[in-house]
Amino acid sequence: MNRILIAALLAFAYVVVPLALGSNAYVVGLIVAALTIGGIAIAWALLGNLGGMVSFGHAAFFGIGAYVSALLTLRAGWPVFPSMLVAGFGAAIASIATMPALRLRGPYFALAILAYAEIFRILATELKPITGGAAGLLSIPRLPNVLGLDFGSKLGGYFVILTIVVAAMVAYDLIRRSPYGLALKAMHDSEDATRVVGVNSTMLKAWMLAVSAFITGMVGAFNAHYINFLEPDYAFAGQWTTLAIVSAIFGGYRTVSGPLLGALVVYLVDQLAFKPILPQGHQIVLGVLLGAMILFSPGGLMPLLLSRLSRKEASHAA
Amino acid sequence: MLELILQSLFSGVLSGAYYALIALGLALVFGTMRVINLAHGELVLLGAYISYTAEEKLGLDPLASLPLALAVVVATAMAVYYLVSLIKKDRELNSLILTFGIGVILTNAVLMIWSADIHSATTAWYHDAVIPFDILFAMQAELVFAGIGIVLVGAVWWWLEKSWYGRALRAVASNRDAAKLMGVNPQLTEVLSFAVSGLLATVAGIAIYTAKVIQPAMGHHLTVKAFIITVLAGMGSVPGVLLGAVLLGVVESLTVTMASSALQELAGMVLFLVVLLLMPSGLFGRAKRRG
Repeated sequence: MNRILIAALLAFAYVVVPLALGSNAYVVGLIVAALTIGGIAIAWALLGNLGGMVSFGHAAFFGIGAYVSALLTLRAGWPVFPSMLVAGFGAAIASIATMPALRLRGPYFALAILAYAEIFRILATELKPITGGAAGLLSIPRLPNVLGLDFGSKLGGYFVILTIVVAAMVAYDLIRRSPYGLALKAMHDSEDATRVVGVNSTMLKAWMLAVSAFITGMVGAFNAHYINFLEPDYAFAGQWTTLAIVSAIFGGYRTVSGPLLGALVVYLVDQLAFKPILPQGHQIVLGVLLGAMILFSPGGLMPLLLSRLSRKEASHAA
Repeated sequence: MLELILQSLFSGVLSGAYYALIALGLALVFGTMRVINLAHGELVLLGAYISYTAEEKLGLDPLASLPLALAVVVATAMAVYYLVSLIKKDRELNSLILTFGIGVILTNAVLMIWSADIHSATTAWYHDAVIPFDILFAMQAELVFAGIGIVLVGAVWWWLEKSWYGRALRAVASNRDAAKLMGVNPQLTEVLSFAVSGLLATVAGIAIYTAKVIQPAMGHHLTVKAFIITVLAGMGSVPGVLLGAVLLGVVESLTVTMASSALQELAGMVLFLVVLLLMPSGLFGRAKRRG
């Protein structure tokens, strides 16, 4: 049942959506942007759910991925897809720099990561010879033609970001089901007890941070090649973090599919319904949404909707 | 060169005074509720914009707008308290996300009401120069609010150390259950800490409006600065907050003088990380595991 559902959803995303909406560049553009946010939201939720750490600085990894890939293609002449992969590793390596913050807990970790994001943004602005400084990088190579498929088009971009997002969700699910997932879950309940039975919790957290940074970096790299332009204030903008947090909380950050669903709903509703009414300050809706979710359903919308289903399943099993 | 350094030390100390007001409010709420109020900088922002409107529309002197700004900011702080108090589960992290959301709401509300323009006080008196010892320079507003800031921080310190409510507040901060058994109402102290933090935020907002410029995106940066200062200070030390604030102010202004103004924020962040990683209990705090 579950497999059929997943196959149907994949077929819908890869076949039905392009056929139905492919001709409408505006709508495809919106969906690509929503999937971009969704990718960061999944990475954020992976760290939040499995690692138990709230981050306010995922923009750091997004920006680093974007810059690494852009610079590799522009300055070293690398092809785009390998650069995007390396950008993911670049972000993961950058996350090593943030690992001393892992010994901090709760709010301290959240804000230390924010400090890193600020530092990276200022460095990108100041290292003019490499990054082009505040003026930014222009004409970043677009996604290439491969085997007659033009990934540089809007629809091509859709397939690329969709694949990144699906791969991220698969990775998330695999980690969750692995023995490490179990250890991480135990860590969530009591970190001290988990350490006592011999789990190296700091190491596990560090891995989750690196995986989360890798995914975010890939998404950032995709975005750079998709819009062909980069500047520090955009690449490291707080909105990448804010939108991802709102999406993940809205969809339910303890589920694999919740953050993506959240991103699609939150971004599309924000852009289609609220931006036209409130051109300035429409992000106020995001704040309201975030507050309301935390107060009324901290588990997100998905658990709320799924609670009936799972109750049915539970009674079935009994 | 020496004069430049002296000047930047002086300016740093002056900014430290209003930084201290902001950081002390954040620390008070953290002490009593274990909640980092990420909307705290936005309270300062709100105070600043009320003062701007009062000067612009009613012709009030920024200092005379204090009662009005105080009413609005403290009311908002109460609303934040009420919302945070609704959280029952996993309060430390959920309140972080909730107050982050409230910060987004307040920033965008300010943006919608007052637009993104930059403003500063128009009353000329505040911008007049003062030249102490013939070599240093300051605006009158900076001196006035540095004075008010130091007096207020001193007053809060005295209040926490000597008054019954202050002691109750510290009791709740150190052991909530024991304080309850001694007849302290924890809710009351929480409300008080939010009210005092709103008061300090209002004064800081007016200080920024008269001595610097204000813009809607500022709130978030102020919250981060206040958090940096509480980390520098270590929890539970009022003089530590003042020293941490002055330290941040001095490091920032020295960076501007010696390197460039683009690196001002970077200096604060690096200082923050170094202290956080090497001296986790802060420069003046008691040794204690965090979180």
